[in-house]
Amino acid sequence: MQAGRGTAKPPIGIALDGDLGARLDALLAIAMLNGLASKGEARKIAVCISRSSLKAAQLADVATAFYSGRPLPGPGGAVGGNPDTIIGMPDGPSFATDNPPLAAVLSQKAADGTPQYQSAVATALDTADDAVLIRNMLLAQNDGNAAIVLAGPASGLARLLALYGSKPQIATKAARLVVAVGAFPSGPPDAALASDVAAARKVFAEWPTPIVAAGAELGAALPYPGASIESDFAWSKAHPIADAYRAFKPMPYDAPASALAALLYAAHPDEGFFKLSEPGTIAVLDDGRTQFTASAEGQHRYLIADPAQTDRVIKLYRGLVSAPPMPRAVRGGRGNAAAQQQQQQQQQPPAQAPKPDGIKPPTP
Amino acid sequence: MSFVTGRSIPRRTFLRGMGTAAIGLPFLDAMSPAFAAAPKTPVRLAFMYVPNGIDMKHWNIEQEGAFGEFPRVMKPLEAFKNDMLQIGNLTHNSGRALLDGAGDHGRCAGSYLTGIQVKKTTVDIKASVSCDQIIANHIGNDTRFASLELGMDDSRQAGDCDSGYSCAYTNNLAWRSETQPLPPILDPRALFERLFGDGAVLSPEEKARQARYRRSILDFVMSDTHTLQTSLGPTDKRKLDEYLSSIREVERQLEKAERESVVIDPGMPKPYGVPPDFGEHFKLLSGMLAIAFQADLTRVATFLMTREGTSRSYREIGISDGHHPCTHHQGKPDLMEKVTRINEYHTAQLAGFLTTLKSMKEGDSNVLDNSMIVYGAGLSDGNRHLHEDLPTLLIGRGGGYFKPGRRIIYRKETPMCNLHLTLMDRMGVHLDNFGDASSPLDPASLT
Repeated sequence: MQAGRGTAKPPIGIALDGDLGARLDALLAIAMLNGLASKGEARKIAVCISRSSLKAAQLADVATAFYSGRPLPGPGGAVGGNPDTIIGMPDGPSFATDNPPLAAVLSQKAADGTPQYQSAVATALDTADDAVLIRNMLLAQNDGNAAIVLAGPASGLARLLALYGSKPQIATKAARLVVAVGAFPSGPPDAALASDVAAARKVFAEWPTPIVAAGAELGAALPYPGASIESDFAWSKAHPIADAYRAFKPMPYDAPASALAALLYAAHPDEGFFKLSEPGTIAVLDDGRTQFTASAEGQHRYLIADPAQTDRVIKLYRGLVSAPPMPRAVRGGRGNAAAQQQQQQQQQPPAQAPKPDGIKPPTP
Repeated sequence: MSFVTGRSIPRRTFLRGMGTAAIGLPFLDAMSPAFAAAPKTPVRLAFMYVPNGIDMKHWNIEQEGAFGEFPRVMKPLEAFKNDMLQIGNLTHNSGRALLDGAGDHGRCAGSYLTGIQVKKTTVDIKASVSCDQIIANHIGNDTRFASLELGMDDSRQAGDCDSGYSCAYTNNLAWRSETQPLPPILDPRALFERLFGDGAVLSPEEKARQARYRRSILDFVMSDTHTLQTSLGPTDKRKLDEYLSSIREVERQLEKAERESVVIDPGMPKPYGVPPDFGEHFKLLSGMLAIAFQADLTRVATFLMTREGTSRSYREIGISDGHHPCTHHQGKPDLMEKVTRINEYHTAQLAGFLTTLKSMKEGDSNVLDNSMIVYGAGLSDGNRHLHEDLPTLLIGRGGGYFKPGRRIIYRKETPMCNLHLTLMDRMGVHLDNFGDASSPLDPASLT
């Protein structure tokens, strides 16, 4: 939530829609979003997974809770909660195949044999429809003070566009959509786009704000350094992001990170971290390849790596992704014990006071 | 009368008397011609709203699926386990602040049936046509009254009732247009006159005079009644007797309430004739609503059991604190207990209404079976002003559509307007969108 109308705008709110079941950089982006938030440079307004996958939803929940804690079990019963702690997921009767290494993180055990990470997501009922969740959270933002980062199939955003009245709402609330898909100016097919070409085409054709793409070539040029995992995350004995990184591929390796580039640009479009292509139009081909056609009136652009900024960007990646949870009120729950202990040392007891209430006593 | 000329009686038949009553009839066997297709039994819809959220710890049934043990607040409804669905996770995002600051009570009531975020103002109010009125506009010509709006609390339409939100938002559920709410009828006598009288608006003094000297309204239609009875079989005769007796019983309760109204504490903002006792008041209004449903006088109703944000006390059950202050209990056990007891008291009243509906036979079923009674609130946790997981019961089978006896949990953030789309569809209004609905509720989950 943001401050009320007429007050100063808070940092930009970012909704992340990523394919956690298949893309490590989408998971790294959750960590980066925490880092941006802890520095007051952005706010997390929603985390969604872009393919229907229970394991991916659980992993997203574990990562989100690691940084944000769990909603307070308030007086009167542990019901409800804050929508910004809910994981969005596409509707669907069956779950997509999960990436085994990432799913394996969820089965890790602590030294005492208990689960290292526990998710509050037991079934799809514990998640929200990603399109509805993003719409609801956008409506709580100041005009033009939100951005959406997509790092996976565009199915959810296509359904968001199909919600009644959503296009003017998106146009009002969101400054831009940044997509970590495709390859520019040309490249191989993108599995995320290929998995739902119709949705991707709909988003590129109908999205009512500018779209900026961070292609695979950018992700390869600016990878997340594997060395960071062993050195920058030592503040926590167990860290779901670091564990996922190790589980994803045999170490050491540097992970392509177009999702991080997209997120960094969404938060800081004017910092010059990347070069921008000329405007144009991105088309999605049948096999999932992207085709960029320059045109002065086009609403699409793509990011280009700037060699002069490489060290700066990689350093920023490391600092933001490995940042500890931001200081906040102590939350109960099942997040990372080390992180919670750190939070408890830093923060005040939870606020239990009711919201401001303008109800007046009855008039005789 | 025109109904005794043929073998069957028209569905919309009234017992008429000189200068006064026009009493609709319940569905009688004689209304089904022997060799014709049976007339379609109407489906009715009522929204019954309670304010300030509900103690969710004692409301939500833990498991999805067939009902097990009912928690405390649901306990009074035990007899209706097989007549209801408890629905979880419905959300009214338009009740949330969305940058408009404080005023959750004003917003949640204003958005409950309109599905939009109402304008924060005390002057130029703006909401949207509520779903009950969309239905009333569509089917209202089939009944004597397109809809009924009932309430039991403050009916002010102006002023600031919550942090800059007009009282028009907290004190109405039904909206005829963006700017025109339909204030609920609070006075049982006014409702009686509307349903069965000539519609004249009487002053309190005139009402008192009339009440003192009037005979039963049934006396005025006695001639029509006798004529009708000669053409009915024994089952229909018994049904008609029961129906007219129920009207007479309402009359007696009204007379009693009016006698007692003179001793109402003048400090209470109650109009003339409103019983001081919450239960008596509810029984009168809901009893007439049941009769209106039975006689097909209307098929659409809203019932604001008390206004959102109300600070009404419940001395009937020994609670002198205001309801709203109690809900901001901040974890204090004594206040939490009072909230739970108020919630229990409300569901106990609801049980009485459901008993009446279920006792009204209608062919092989009953009026409850052919109704959709939505009971719920625009907040879940009143202490924290939460707009998600709104407490919602869907009672009745909607004419055999719903498969009750279960708790259904939808995904988080499922728009409450999805339920409204479903209900409108069952009432014959087929819309693609309403409010912030994403789709109707999955029919497979309901049937």
